[in-house]
Amino acid sequence: MAPTTQFEVAQPPSDAISAVSFAPESSTRFLVSSWDKNVYLYEIVTDGDNRTANLVQTYTNRAPVLDVCFGANDNEAFIAGVDHQVKRIDLTTGDMTVLSQHLQPVRCVVYSPQSSLLISASWDCTLHVHNPSSSDPTSHLTIRLPGKPHALAASPTKVVVAMTARLVSIYDLPTLASALSTSPDSEVQPWQQRESSLKFLTRSVSCMPNDAGYATSSIEGRVAVEWFEDTPESQARKYAFKCHRQAAPEEEGGGDVVYPVNALAFHPVYGTFASAGGDGTVALWDAEAKRRMRQYQRFPNSISAIDFSRDGRFLVIGVCPGFETGMENYSGEGQTSVFIRELGETEAKGKSAK
Amino acid sequence: MGKKKRGHPDVEDILARPWCYYCERDFEDLKLLISHQKAKHFKCERCGKRLNTAGGLSVHMNQVHKETLEQVENALPNRQGLDIEIFGMEGIPEDIIQQHNQRIIQNFYTAQAERHAATGNPPAGQGPAKKIKIETPEEIKKRLAEHRARVAAQKAGGGAPLAPAPTEGQPPQSVSPFPPPQAGYPYPPPGAPAVPGVPVAGVPSYTPPQAYPPTYPPGAVPPPGGYGGLPARPPGGTVPASNLPSRPPYGGASYPAAPGYPGASTVDELVASASRPADDIDNIIRMAERGEKPAVKPEEAAPADKKGKKEKNARMVYGDTEVSPEEKMVLLPRYAFVA
Repeated sequence: MAPTTQFEVAQPPSDAISAVSFAPESSTRFLVSSWDKNVYLYEIVTDGDNRTANLVQTYTNRAPVLDVCFGANDNEAFIAGVDHQVKRIDLTTGDMTVLSQHLQPVRCVVYSPQSSLLISASWDCTLHVHNPSSSDPTSHLTIRLPGKPHALAASPTKVVVAMTARLVSIYDLPTLASALSTSPDSEVQPWQQRESSLKFLTRSVSCMPNDAGYATSSIEGRVAVEWFEDTPESQARKYAFKCHRQAAPEEEGGGDVVYPVNALAFHPVYGTFASAGGDGTVALWDAEAKRRMRQYQRFPNSISAIDFSRDGRFLVIGVCPGFETGMENYSGEGQTSVFIRELGETEAKGKSAK
Repeated sequence: MGKKKRGHPDVEDILARPWCYYCERDFEDLKLLISHQKAKHFKCERCGKRLNTAGGLSVHMNQVHKETLEQVENALPNRQGLDIEIFGMEGIPEDIIQQHNQRIIQNFYTAQAERHAATGNPPAGQGPAKKIKIETPEEIKKRLAEHRARVAAQKAGGGAPLAPAPTEGQPPQSVSPFPPPQAGYPYPPPGAPAVPGVPVAGVPSYTPPQAYPPTYPPGAVPPPGGYGGLPARPPGGTVPASNLPSRPPYGGASYPAAPGYPGASTVDELVASASRPADDIDNIIRMAERGEKPAVKPEEAAPADKKGKKEKNARMVYGDTEVSPEEKMVLLPRYAFVA
């Protein structure tokens, strides 16, 4: 059996990483968006026993890019920009087209292949819902949010938005799709509204690939797992746990140093999930069995983004300095790297998946 | 016929299970046994480090904490010694193995008899349909002697036999290579064959001779609470409780030396009395017997409102609960967008 391997991208972004995303078809193609205004397309290449990730192309935006996702195929991507715009990139030609104009920077974009919808969340407290494959891709549904969105994720039929003040709204994708096609001016109500299970600001949301629920993480070293189904039994199953913490040295007064959990990603095959934090570690969790399966060796810096490839074989890890309280001169320059971990056959397989 | 072993494993299966020298628990596989030993018997009470053997723990205590390990924790009174090096199933003295096997066999047949008494079902694979008679030479000799005596009596008296021949009620022997114990086993005397497997009227209910713990199916968690009729355990006094790491408290963490133990003469009684409410670690191990190794548990689900007390010293690397790091970064000149 081939040992699990880890390798680093030779040409990483020149500044902090905002997002990483694997392609929907090829499991060797991924995008990295950066605060240096660029989006980087990489391809994992196997040469004998050696694997490398080569930079294929870069796409330059006019402002830092806060999020990136693939669209309907491997040649289409969408970006969320500090310049208030949602853009579509044709990865073959490099053409960028503006899909939407928000009033504030756009924090997240997510594409749902099941419903062919692109959803963007902006600090202007709105969601824009597009159908990029329709005849008029710029026409969109605008949904007013009760708070500033910080994280967004889609399951096959739901989209989860986590906002300030511990607000969480869940929208039903088929409902959004029909509203967009019939009455774009209508006000769509969330399918469910919840209070976050976590006391502190949400950092990341990720949905279970089996459409059963989602996980959220906060700035206070904690992850919560909950289920969509709104029955007392299902809601009683939800739980939260501490992670990404370190005991502080005695001379600093002891206690724990608590890191933000910056990124979550569910494994597309086994339904287990990875969490990545400001402490520079990635841990694999079995959501059903409530167990930690693995914790990987510390990376040289905080981890800002992770994603699994569609076949679950690769985990891409975006490493750059974390923004900590009181950083006036933050820069990720020269300290940003991208790692790819190749997982063993059963490395991410949970007990429940047996 | 098909579901022979459902719920009640064969005695061979039970005997094949790895078991712990220190506390006589048995486990699904060797890995779990070793993990149990590390957690229960070879764990440093000062720092929680799990060593592989008692010797290893002794050296660790000596070097790291400058203390002397006196005895193996959570062990049965006569098994606390540090002189025997145990790792998994390795190192167990032969006589102890024999003793263990005897106990397992006895418990097995007791449990079987209890089940029989409770349900009236014959034990699996030993129904009345296939009675295979295997008699020991002693029994054959005994029967021969009885027969001779009867013949002699008939000759002498010329009439009816003095005693009914016990041929009908002859206990069928188990097909198992580990037959029920014959000697010193407190079954009713011959003539009232209450041997497991033969439904007999007139033996209303079988009372187990002692407070044996029933044989549990693999993976089952023993019911909390001890078994009736046992003397109260004296509180463990060898270790100052305040020095213990935060472990769930349970009674009788350490036992006085074996001779002082009131009324415990057999391994069974010791084991039975040791079946205190299962604590966390063993529960995890028991649960893990069904699948994965117990390994690491996420630092468990702390309801959000409980944590105030626990985390007085926690320092958050990023502490703003209203504004995200990205919002702050956007405000830096370096990343600002000027339309």
